[in-house]
Amino acid sequence: MQSYQKFLSEILIDERALQKRIAELGAEISRDYRDADGNLVLICILRGGVVFMVDLMRHITVRHQVDFMAVSSYGSGARQTTGSVRLSLDLQTDICGKDVLLVEDIVDSGNTIAYVLEFLQTRQPHSLKVCALLDKEERRETPVPIDYCGFKIANKFVFGYGLDLDEYYRNLPFIAVVDVDKYHPA
Amino acid sequence: MQDYHEFMDEILVDESTIARRVAELGAQISKDYQDKDLLIVCLLRGGMTFTADLMRHLTINPELDCMSLSSYGVGHYSSTGNVRVNLDLRTNIEGRHVLLVEDIVDSGRTLAHVLNMLRTREPASLRVCVLLDKKMRREVPVQVDYVGFDVPDKYVFGYGIDIDEHCRHLPFIASVDLSKYKKPSA
Repeated sequence: MQSYQKFLSEILIDERALQKRIAELGAEISRDYRDADGNLVLICILRGGVVFMVDLMRHITVRHQVDFMAVSSYGSGARQTTGSVRLSLDLQTDICGKDVLLVEDIVDSGNTIAYVLEFLQTRQPHSLKVCALLDKEERRETPVPIDYCGFKIANKFVFGYGLDLDEYYRNLPFIAVVDVDKYHPA
Repeated sequence: MQDYHEFMDEILVDESTIARRVAELGAQISKDYQDKDLLIVCLLRGGMTFTADLMRHLTINPELDCMSLSSYGVGHYSSTGNVRVNLDLRTNIEGRHVLLVEDIVDSGRTLAHVLNMLRTREPASLRVCVLLDKKMRREVPVQVDYVGFDVPDKYVFGYGIDIDEHCRHLPFIASVDLSKYKKPSA
């Protein structure tokens, strides 16, 4: 496997800037959900969002639960632009009447998250909002309301801080841009 | 629902002690797997915080996958000791170096069962890293290769570990004073 230094084009958001912004988001969420103390449920879509959610929840001072979903697409190949998403792991929590905050690493086309939101809405949560660390608005195909956004980023190929590059490099504590000419998948 | 201050007995491991030990484990694992292609398997949901922090202390770049398990039957264990897989690995682990990351091992039953299941898939190696080892509770012998802290036989919460689904976000590990804890109504 290549060392990431060989194909890293730039560090887009360094560790300190990430942590500072996540603390701000946590404070904002804690303020907004003050009256939902104990009723808030953070939902993380595996696997990209795990690192962000773990750091974010530690900055949320209102009592809350955390749960996970895993999704995949029907059919072979990449996720379809339209159509349903297959749930490979459903929530353990019944979200009926809960204040739900969906925590995502990145919103790109918005197709998957739009479907997940629609799906979650059928279970009648008290409220349903979205917190995304990165918003790649330029790529949007389906509109998604993002209530809490960490950073708006340009349409570049990014990795690190939970986001993978062919399943690796999720462990890096910063968000970096790939130099695609220099990157050779194993 | 109670505030955790009302039922907390004591802080067993504080935030800076956890951070220091997680960094040490990260360094040790990086050394042990220096030339290997490592797959980290996080056991949801308790292991999420430990995994997210541990990963960031690795100087090698592992792949990450997650599993979600539950027990058959009511209560903690079914009579057979079998474990139900809610979310299986996406990765084929045959021939891979696998490190299972778990928040806590007590009786060892679940862990022993998961290890047996994973071994049938013939990984090149299979090791276990747990943050907390409650040795006094062990009922079946189980191999644990990396341990964060030995803890006494007390009910603990925080740093990913829940008490009735709450308190996972707390940055320290604390013990419960059961005489003061009121189970939330469902």
